[in-house]
Amino acid sequence: MKDLITQLAQAVAPSGSERQFQETLLSYVKDLADEVKIDRLGNGIARKHGDGPHIVLAAHADEQGVMVIDIDDHGFLRIIGIGEQTPSLLVGRSVRFTNDEIGVVGAEDDVKVQDLTLDHLYIDIGAATKEEAQKRVHIGLSGVVVEPVVSLTDHLLTGRALDNRVGCAIAIEAFREAAQKGLNVSVVFTAQNAVGARGAKTAAYQLEPDFAIVIDATPAGDTPEASRNDIQLGAGPAVKIMDSSTIVPIAVKDHLIESAERAGVQIQYEVWTKGRSDAGNIQLSVDGILVGGVSYPARYTGRTSTVVDLRDAKAALDLVLEAVRSFGQ
Amino acid sequence: MLLKTLTEAMGPSGFEDEIRNLIREEVSPHVAKMYTDVLGSLYCENTVQTGPRIMLDAHMDEVGLMIVHIEENGLLRFKPIGGIDPRVLVSKPVQIGTEKRFGVIGAKPIHLQSPDERTKPLGINQLYIDIGAKDKKDAEQVVKLGDVCVFATRYEELGDNCAKAKSFDDRVGCAILIETLKKQFQVPLVGAFTVQEEVGLRGATAAGYRVQPDIAIALEGTVCFDVVGAPSHGQSTVLGGGPALTVQDSQTIADRAFLEFMISVAEKHNIPYQLRRVKGGSNDFGAIHKTRDGVIGGGISVPVRYIHAPAQIISLEDYQNAILLTEAIVRAISEGGFTI
Repeated sequence: MKDLITQLAQAVAPSGSERQFQETLLSYVKDLADEVKIDRLGNGIARKHGDGPHIVLAAHADEQGVMVIDIDDHGFLRIIGIGEQTPSLLVGRSVRFTNDEIGVVGAEDDVKVQDLTLDHLYIDIGAATKEEAQKRVHIGLSGVVVEPVVSLTDHLLTGRALDNRVGCAIAIEAFREAAQKGLNVSVVFTAQNAVGARGAKTAAYQLEPDFAIVIDATPAGDTPEASRNDIQLGAGPAVKIMDSSTIVPIAVKDHLIESAERAGVQIQYEVWTKGRSDAGNIQLSVDGILVGGVSYPARYTGRTSTVVDLRDAKAALDLVLEAVRSFGQ
Repeated sequence: MLLKTLTEAMGPSGFEDEIRNLIREEVSPHVAKMYTDVLGSLYCENTVQTGPRIMLDAHMDEVGLMIVHIEENGLLRFKPIGGIDPRVLVSKPVQIGTEKRFGVIGAKPIHLQSPDERTKPLGINQLYIDIGAKDKKDAEQVVKLGDVCVFATRYEELGDNCAKAKSFDDRVGCAILIETLKKQFQVPLVGAFTVQEEVGLRGATAAGYRVQPDIAIALEGTVCFDVVGAPSHGQSTVLGGGPALTVQDSQTIADRAFLEFMISVAEKHNIPYQLRRVKGGSNDFGAIHKTRDGVIGGGISVPVRYIHAPAQIISLEDYQNAILLTEAIVRAISEGGFTI
């Protein structure tokens, strides 16, 4: 799974620019699927018809980023955020755009760090004039802050976009196994999660699942002076109890906890009051959909680099597989 | 004069009756089918059945105020409907209720303010509407709680082919849509004049589920701050720079293929256009594109200076170019120019 995660994390796929990456994601599942497609909002969907209730595995494919919104006479780019960005974290970082152009983020000198907004930042792509810049970039072009994926230990990985490329890897492997067993399963790599779970809403409408499992990162609270949060890296996947978008139905929560017991997976409980996930929009789609969440702990979510534990990811896969296998029995 | 009629009509979110009736009268000779939904949005359809189903959207409602309390002395307290900066309210004339009774938003005069008070903008709670009533009983004869108000602004043309009025957001979009509906297209076309945009794109959500379009375009008035002290990346749009297309706003990330299609149509017909250079704000397409299994489309916006304020300014050239661009895009789609 480490190789798969590392490969997926190479892709530059800020919200709204997922299409190319969806081709990659679907290439891992299409041999086992009856249908694959990339839909209007950019969701990548693979459907396998089979026995039993229709279960949808959802993992968001996108990541937060920046978008070019203005180009000045000297060739400097001004940006807006894609998703929530902390401006001070961007200063001095390299940005890779979806067309592979590279730039460096600078900040206006007369603004204090604590007062920085995205309006004070610019990207230097080394263009001398507006015309030169316009040959390489355009208004509306999206990019991400680059940060390589590296191993900290045998089990810990750090780098960009691990949230949620780890989830995509789990969803790929879970879909493959479930499809090979002849189950009635779909996987959706959702688009536009970081800007408000937009893809999840339209994907759920199309797929009308009997049960959906959202696979995503949840912040770990095991770092120095972290705000109160019991989730620890390496202590197993977290069963979602609630986040700001959803309260998971008790029956779903119980099913996931019992599935973990059967699979011999040690779990934690995710109560992430500020968290936003695809779960809420899936739950409220059509006439209401049973939704649950299996989350892997990640340190520094929402920042440019996160830390995850591969053992949590592997255990999350085991839990998802058992939950898919035993749902409705 | 369509813009004058539309902008001077009353229609805060949830109270779109007057503006809807005006629009209905204006478009009825030109459309095959017309109906409203339970929220009050007005739909106008042609009879063409083949080709992609196109939805053009403009919201009828405008920002306004609602009377929520009457003081013993007959002064009216109010709450905003939609996003209104309280700093634009002081001393402005308003019209209240279906009878359009005049009132003035009052506050303590500068002579009586302490030095400290003079440095702070007045909040909604410090303001009231004065209708000249002698006491609460007198006021209650003519105003009820829940009555709504709009700014009392006349439409006038000014300067270099510009116009000022209230509610260009989004009566300019309504006017573009009306002018488009007067033309004939060989493609299924639904014009949706929606309600309650200013309080959260509510009418458009229902409209998206009802119309089930293949392609949707919101016609809007959008923020413009091309004035003193605004750097290029703080302007959003430039007055007279042509209709603005969205790359990202608070509710939508543009579908790149459709955006490039709209740009190619503008360039082919030599219609000036600009890209909206700000993330804040949104339009009905933000709600429509998330309905059902998702909808392709975008927004065409006329730059509006002093948007959501009592007197707004647009360039009539931008307005005319938005009409041309909308027509050209619908024609290009009807000729198979965009594949979903």
